[in-house]
Amino acid sequence: MTQPIALPQPSEVTKREKEDAMAAYLMNFAAWGAGLPLPSLNLIASAIYYLINRKKSRFVAFHCFQAFSSQLPTTLINMFGAGMFIDFAIILQRPLPKLFWPYVGFAVLMNLLYVATSIYACVLAAKGRIYYFLVFGRWAYAKYYGPNAVPLEGAAERPNLPPPGF
Amino acid sequence: MEFNIVRQDSYSRGELLLRTFFGALYIAAPHVIVLMFIGIWANIVHFIAWWAILFTGRYPESFFEFNVKLLSWNMRLNASLNNLVDGYPAIGLSGSHPGVSLRVTQPESLSRAKLLLRTFLGIFYVTIPHGICLYGRLIATGFLQMLSWWSILFTGNIPESWFEFNVGTLRWTVRLNLYMTNMTDVYPPFSGKRNPS
Repeated sequence: MTQPIALPQPSEVTKREKEDAMAAYLMNFAAWGAGLPLPSLNLIASAIYYLINRKKSRFVAFHCFQAFSSQLPTTLINMFGAGMFIDFAIILQRPLPKLFWPYVGFAVLMNLLYVATSIYACVLAAKGRIYYFLVFGRWAYAKYYGPNAVPLEGAAERPNLPPPGF
Repeated sequence: MEFNIVRQDSYSRGELLLRTFFGALYIAAPHVIVLMFIGIWANIVHFIAWWAILFTGRYPESFFEFNVKLLSWNMRLNASLNNLVDGYPAIGLSGSHPGVSLRVTQPESLSRAKLLLRTFLGIFYVTIPHGICLYGRLIATGFLQMLSWWSILFTGNIPESWFEFNVGTLRWTVRLNLYMTNMTDVYPPFSGKRNPS
């Protein structure tokens, strides 16, 4: 029989775990810290941070994995935009396609949305709480807690619950 | 902060000559290559720690430990290249050297006001005054290092006062580094002494 996994509540998460989980989302801004404007650097930093922390507590590993995996769509969107610009404007030296600027607008919107969501998740992680991103939150939850995870009984407040459907 | 290098009873002349002629190849090169990549990571860590301090008033513990280990590694390398210790400096964050020790206590909380002050005005009240003093001190240190080299070659030892002065220069840079990377709120003294009054 599979042992149930306790879903940690804010009072059970140590200060260090909260800080490590919070930092996972701040890795999304790593490129600014390194001073290198590469669209994929944030993803690389998040991947390294995840690899460093994946064997630590489930709480930290969950947040690191969520922060890393949730970056994939925006990174791909940014890389595609940057690739299109380099290809047309620099290599082929041709005018940019008509769809380029609407695409840039879409990319900016997606990035802003992602930054806002990351900051929200970061603030909650610093308090020992869990915020589930669309799709990636469930993926990370399934990887680190799964259907056997239960909120610890007896805790007065239980803000950390499984995502809907689990 | 406690930084110290133990003065050996005697120094190896063979190692001194080996370090002098091939040190760049077998000590500096491998360390610098690895440190260059870790340095990029350290920049990211400093940047993230800055935001963490601004919002939580605390330096994240695991980042603090990482920085202390990195600083310790740098000091091991410096001590070896400056002929203050014999033996090969261990590569890696978890490495150590019996003669080189660095202990930094993490402050429970850091001032957000001082963080902003350091970031925006640090160049005026920290970098420039310390930079001027350290520049003069580094010239003296370089001169003493050269004399120490001959001293080791002929006597197998370094005079204690020269040794303490050179260690003091490294201690000063460590204190300055800790302050400028927001790991402490204590303004670094204009001294390399262990317990400056």
